[in-house]
Amino acid sequence: MRNTQDTQLLFELSHAGRRATRLPACDVPETPVAELLPAGVLAAAPPELPELAEPHVVRHFTNLSTQNMSVDTHFYPLGSCTMKHNPKRNERAAAYFGALHPLQPQESIQGILRLLYEAQQYLCEISGLPACSLQPAAGAQGELAALLVAAAYFKDQGQSHRRKVLVPDSAHGTNPASAVMAGFGVVTVKTKTSGAVDMDDFHAKLDDDIAVFMITNPNTVGIFEPNMGPIAEAVHARGGLIYLDGANMNAILGIARPGDFGVDMQHYNPHKTFSGPHGGGGPGAGPICVTDKLAPYLPAPVVAKRGEGREASGENGGAEYFLDFDRPKTIGRLRSFLGNVGVMVRAYAYIRSHGPDGLRAVSDNAVLNANYLLSRVKHFLPVPQGDRCMHEFVASGAKLKSERGVSAMDLAKRLLDYGYHAPTVYFPLTVKEAIMVEPTETESKATLDAFAETLFKITGEDPDLLHEAPHTTPISRPDEVQAARQPRMCYCG
Amino acid sequence: MPYLYNTPDETREMLDAIGVGSIEDLLAMVPADFRLRRALDLPPAMGEMELDQHMQMLAGQNHDASDKVCFLGGGAYDHFIPAVVDAIGGRGEFYTSYTPYQAEVAQGNLQAMFEYQSLVCRLTGMDISNSSLYDGASAAAEGVMMALASKPGRNRVLAPASLHPEYRETIETYLANLDVEVVTLPTPAGVLSIDELRAALNDQTACVLLQQPNFFGCLEDADAATAAAHEAGALLISVFDPISLGLLKRPGDYNAGDGADIVVAEGHSLGSPLAMGGPYLGILACKEALVRRMPGRIVGQTTDRRGKPCFVLTLQTREQHIRRDKATSNVCSNQALFALRAAVYLAQLGPQGLQETAGLCLQKTRYLADRLATTERFKPAFKVPVFKEFVLRDRECDVDAFIAAALDAGFLAGVPLGRWYPDLDDCLLIAVTEKRTKEELDRFVAFVEALAKDTEAAELGEMAESFG
Repeated sequence: MRNTQDTQLLFELSHAGRRATRLPACDVPETPVAELLPAGVLAAAPPELPELAEPHVVRHFTNLSTQNMSVDTHFYPLGSCTMKHNPKRNERAAAYFGALHPLQPQESIQGILRLLYEAQQYLCEISGLPACSLQPAAGAQGELAALLVAAAYFKDQGQSHRRKVLVPDSAHGTNPASAVMAGFGVVTVKTKTSGAVDMDDFHAKLDDDIAVFMITNPNTVGIFEPNMGPIAEAVHARGGLIYLDGANMNAILGIARPGDFGVDMQHYNPHKTFSGPHGGGGPGAGPICVTDKLAPYLPAPVVAKRGEGREASGENGGAEYFLDFDRPKTIGRLRSFLGNVGVMVRAYAYIRSHGPDGLRAVSDNAVLNANYLLSRVKHFLPVPQGDRCMHEFVASGAKLKSERGVSAMDLAKRLLDYGYHAPTVYFPLTVKEAIMVEPTETESKATLDAFAETLFKITGEDPDLLHEAPHTTPISRPDEVQAARQPRMCYCG
Repeated sequence: MPYLYNTPDETREMLDAIGVGSIEDLLAMVPADFRLRRALDLPPAMGEMELDQHMQMLAGQNHDASDKVCFLGGGAYDHFIPAVVDAIGGRGEFYTSYTPYQAEVAQGNLQAMFEYQSLVCRLTGMDISNSSLYDGASAAAEGVMMALASKPGRNRVLAPASLHPEYRETIETYLANLDVEVVTLPTPAGVLSIDELRAALNDQTACVLLQQPNFFGCLEDADAATAAAHEAGALLISVFDPISLGLLKRPGDYNAGDGADIVVAEGHSLGSPLAMGGPYLGILACKEALVRRMPGRIVGQTTDRRGKPCFVLTLQTREQHIRRDKATSNVCSNQALFALRAAVYLAQLGPQGLQETAGLCLQKTRYLADRLATTERFKPAFKVPVFKEFVLRDRECDVDAFIAAALDAGFLAGVPLGRWYPDLDDCLLIAVTEKRTKEELDRFVAFVEALAKDTEAAELGEMAESFG
């Protein structure tokens, strides 16, 4: 049963003089602070933090946690976001590396360096691209990193005139935003109802100024881009590069490799593909893989190895792992230290838990589950892309909207009442009243059946009931206009 | 396969319902030319127990702050983490949830982020905080991008050498293809000279970065730097250590409340582990006038359709999923889980707890710095007040050998500075947090003294041999 009384903010719970953590007494001879630091740098008063007892803190945040849906508690068919089960064994594994300092002598961190080196190799094998940097801190930063790599490469080639990045209109918003941050201009390429790139529009926009074509494949409509071959050929013929937004790698593990279908650079979202928890919005990570000719430009350091080890025996033998900073053509760094190592430990644990057959089974089952759900949903919510999908599909609520006045948002909100997280709605922008569903491989047929039946039931419910949904959640339909017009982003009581 | 439900029977039923013979048939849209016709070349699968043993084996090849006494800093610190932070941060309802786009089923995350933002504002004296960025370095780069956007026509960024060198490198990477000049001001005395800052400022300067305490642990004249930047029409971006604000003036209070315009920090010290440098927590906050140029997510308070107070993501028209190529930044994932941990940490410590933590860092740092300065091996590199870190010059000019010997003796001794500062290649950066005990500090000093004696003895031995 949910606690409905404790909805106060931390600051409202505060009472002067309450304490939780007490620090130990100082065990070295103390000098008055005023003798150690000049008056000008000191605060006039202690920081303005709430004063609470530990039980307050625990109860407050525990009660907040119960107001969240999560993968541990609910089905989360959130298209494009790949909300699959987050294995507990990976959390334990990551904790083994929690007390490592990033600037330790390298001889004292051979275990983690070996892990990261192997993780780089696995990502290369899965992508079909030979070089990898683990540094980017999130998918969007991976995009930025790869575009900066492309810019540096073209500059080196004396081709700085290549200022144009082509992005399909169905792409994630991070793609155009990253291209602009890397100093490129963005040209949008249309896609068709099927989700495929409009080849006429593509050819009309392709010229010798192209730097990069950014493609998501499988794309955001959940299909494998049918023109992938001709697109890569045409872009390469013009001297451009292909970038893969790796958000949907969950669909093709062991089935197809981006490097084999013409991709020059890609990022991974380990929190999607390799099951890192999403953490309410982060952390993720955004490692990138590239072709040999782009390898010199990768963000440094990368993890490298000297000598051969006897790794099967659990000893590194004569092998020595090290951080390779000596990369004169590197684009530099995108954050401090090595990257989101903790996320990579989880990804590594996931890959080692599955092996080659297991990863293939992950994608097979992600595709099976998505197609099965599509086959059940298409009868009452049309799926413009057709009868087949990879790991996700996009249904359209346009007919329901015009006939009954029920929007994709209404459906999404009503699903919350039934204990399902809402699918992604209104994305991609190319499908009217888009409802994007991704069940992932870690759900059962029974869950998919129950979800399809609930969705069907909702489409027949009283429209007024739906407009005001959800009805059972702690709050319903917050006023976002008010939030934006009279922003209140800080407790100032 | 560890996490799959579908049995062969269910798979058959599902394929029949779809109307295909096999999963292979479902993959027909992947062109044959692109199909991988072999298994991935990866090691075979491990069960949970084998995986656990394997991970423990790898972990066993490391030393870390749990088995060595850690004096490493340089932007990552071995601070104490109360158990409450792990207990709350480990709740699946927080760590397996998604970005709170569906506010009705994410009030827990949204309220926690609103509280995080409020705590950051109170700690720094700023008006608005976002709900986190990747880490301190990338937050600094985003802060610079904000400053440039708010000062159109100005394309000069001033960054003293006392700014964390990896932050400067990150800023330079972000600005690589934009027409912006990053000017490094030398800091031979360990801190920025205000006269040199004034001389470098001009009407093209968009912002000045100032780290307090700086990368060397030294305390800068933040009031004067703020005044100088503002007189030249530039913004002051403060890079701060959140723990230091238990004692030090808030960036918003610099120069009698004139204040920094944008503040950024590495927030991992607030309740997140060292974790080999990541994931960490990028803190970014600013004055109200700059909010529309802010990158990343922001949570706002509003009311729902029944009039009940609640929280939502707000000002989303700045963001990439709405504004695409015209967004303030490409940030999508942030570090929400670590922002949550920071909120729990600050709530758990409270004003006294943070003040005591900062006080212990200050006292123990002073104690160790004074003791090491009396050894024959080291002397202080700079003569300015420090907070939780300090730079020592190695009279033997053999920092690498010292670090290796210290590791053998049980210490993660310090960060060698030569990688970033050729003129400081005989220098070590040593950090002392509240976790270090007097016994550990004394043991380290004794080790340094013994090392000096050993070196002396060895040298005498060599001399004896050469004369023998």
